[in-house]
Amino acid sequence: MPRRVAIVAAGLSRTSSHRVDVTYPELVREAVSAALEQAGLQHHDIDAVAYGSMDPFDGVFAPERWNVEACAGAGAANLPLMKITTGGTTGGSTALAGYYHVASGLFDVVLAVASQRVGETLEAQLVLNTAIDPIYERWLGAGAITIAALQGARHFWRYGTTEEDLALISVKDYENARRNPYAHLMRMLTVQDALQTRMISWPLRLSDCCPSSDGAAALIFASEERARAITDRPAWVIGAGQITDNYWVGDRTWYEDWDSLSMLARRVYRQAKISDPLRELDVAELYNAFSIQEIIEYEALGFCDKGKGAELIRKGVTTMEGELPVCPSGGVLCTNPIGASGMIRVAEAALQTMGKAGDRQVPNVRKALAHAWGAAIGFHTLMVLSSEAP
Amino acid sequence: MTARVAIVGIGQTGFSGAADDRLYHEHDFEAARMALADAGLDRGDVDTVICSGWDAVDGRTISDMHTAMSAGGYLKDSSHVGEDGIMALAYAYMRIAAGLFDVALVSGHGHAECSFETVSNVVFDPLFVRPLGQSHLVSLALQANAYMQRYGVSEEAPAKVAVKNRKNGAANRSAHLQSPVSLADVLASAPVCYPFRALHCPPQSVGGVALILAAEDTARRITERPVWITGIGWAIDSYDLGSKDLTRLGSLAAAADRAYRMAGIARPLDELDAAELHDITPFHELMAYEALGLAAEGGGAKLLEDGMTDAGGKLPVNPSGGVLCTNLYGASGLVRAAEGALQLRGEAGAHQVPDARRALAHGMSAPSGAAARTDCVLVLEGG
Repeated sequence: MPRRVAIVAAGLSRTSSHRVDVTYPELVREAVSAALEQAGLQHHDIDAVAYGSMDPFDGVFAPERWNVEACAGAGAANLPLMKITTGGTTGGSTALAGYYHVASGLFDVVLAVASQRVGETLEAQLVLNTAIDPIYERWLGAGAITIAALQGARHFWRYGTTEEDLALISVKDYENARRNPYAHLMRMLTVQDALQTRMISWPLRLSDCCPSSDGAAALIFASEERARAITDRPAWVIGAGQITDNYWVGDRTWYEDWDSLSMLARRVYRQAKISDPLRELDVAELYNAFSIQEIIEYEALGFCDKGKGAELIRKGVTTMEGELPVCPSGGVLCTNPIGASGMIRVAEAALQTMGKAGDRQVPNVRKALAHAWGAAIGFHTLMVLSSEAP
Repeated sequence: MTARVAIVGIGQTGFSGAADDRLYHEHDFEAARMALADAGLDRGDVDTVICSGWDAVDGRTISDMHTAMSAGGYLKDSSHVGEDGIMALAYAYMRIAAGLFDVALVSGHGHAECSFETVSNVVFDPLFVRPLGQSHLVSLALQANAYMQRYGVSEEAPAKVAVKNRKNGAANRSAHLQSPVSLADVLASAPVCYPFRALHCPPQSVGGVALILAAEDTARRITERPVWITGIGWAIDSYDLGSKDLTRLGSLAAAADRAYRMAGIARPLDELDAAELHDITPFHELMAYEALGLAAEGGGAKLLEDGMTDAGGKLPVNPSGGVLCTNLYGASGLVRAAEGALQLRGEAGAHQVPDARRALAHGMSAPSGAAARTDCVLVLEGG
């Protein structure tokens, strides 16, 4: 029986396309301070730090070093800090690392931090393109948008999903983001508006694509004893994992189904003892960088059968009033500081479980799911949080 | 007390100065295959894979997309640390100690196809320090100079470290540089960045290293010679070079303190049989003696000059030749762990320390540690 671990606080920074009002350490400090304050802890209560960011999007080598003091407090050197980088999943992977730090028994209170300043990047898609094999695939222009568009094209062709379905997803997420003070895009959007936005890469229009954001997130993981002392309502980790798919974009056969995510979901649901996710989960924060991906994620995560994802949004199942609200925060579609986005999902799921999500709170959350994808859709992370200890 | 975790498989490729026709992740592949063969395992036996390195050094965004595959991570739960490979080992240790995984593979590679001086300049803040040309080597030189000035360290003492390690490396069939050098050679070698001369600087080596870790019950099934990780600790220093004491390696002292406490070590010089240190320069090996509690502050040179850390001394340090003979930027620390484990298995060949039962392995994050050093210390014990 592994050690019981809970998230006891989650802090978020404000986000925008370029947070020119703060330095990088100040941005990180914003999220860390919010988490410490929520937990009623000081820097010296932290035993270790897990730090995630994707250096190429910051234009800084090893930015965790620049931000050591923002995590550890001024003058508090020589804390254990481990840097995690796994692409878009970085935030999710860093949350997992924070969890294992405590689960291992080596540490009792661990700060997990993820940050990104995509505003420092001239064009994020060009940076991402260097992840792709330089000889066979890079020159095709592959990046997050084009690969998501391939997913969309396949899903449209195989399952009859339409541009209107994508618009319904975007409208729902934009509406949710307007209740989230930490969201980047907070504007009104109707289906009609969405369908008139510029085509980016068919079938994805501008309203189907995430922005690029500057932002940071912080989580505090604690052992059972410490968690119970810190808060009456921690978010217990009851399932967690990551999966790694094939490197080659051209060798993947499952663009419309995302089988690697299904496989990971089966592993993590088994840990969390979840057999019917649509009924048993109360909220899900999914990595919906593109509207089509939210539909595919519904299917891969077992909320519905393959090809039936669009029906969930058509019936309103995943809206705030539906059976399983998805992305009450507005998701990645409205806020995307790349390396931090996965941790924002975990932070939002934790806030929901702890009942601290403010205007975007879903009533009576007992189980919440957080997801991230990264590495040109090759990696996924999942974490299931519960208001009850495992 | 956490679960017992052992090193059960070791893979080190040959180390050289050129990549030939290989890509960075092919070193991980070869080392992973060697580690699996060493443990008598198949890829299917591995539960989790942790890779290491830096995108800026590998020249690709999300470079672990490929290393994870090459190290056998397909459809497994894998992750990646943006640090030296020894930190991947630390992460794998935690995953196993948590009781959530049984067998982990960790890998790292050195692939000297970039200018570490240029890359490491970008770790510094863009307004005040970067324009000064600050880099990995320059920040090491500032430390070395401050250390020499404070304790009146002679030019001979660090040169003798280089002579010792190059001599040791000459007996290590897998070292990159296998040629000894004389004291006169070191002192006459070309100046690089004061106080460093050419023979104070490590080479840039190419190759891969992988280790397999397992939980206690599984480890005993896999091998009759498990190497137990009985102490582990790591720490990061503060960012600003101008506001810390450059003459001591505080992060290394903090990491060692954690590892020693866990392993129950009070007198490391007496209780350890061998040590593999990240001697990024000979000056830093002397400073490391002090941070590790092998010598008093300022006493590093005396420990060396008394022959205590020689191959036949009380505590042989870097019997493999250390980083001065083989320097995989990104995996030199993991090589230290591999070498420490080989010593405890009694399989270190011509550089074997007789009857080694307890060894220390130390790795640091170079070049990302140019601004805030990360150090990781392992205490290893034979089965």
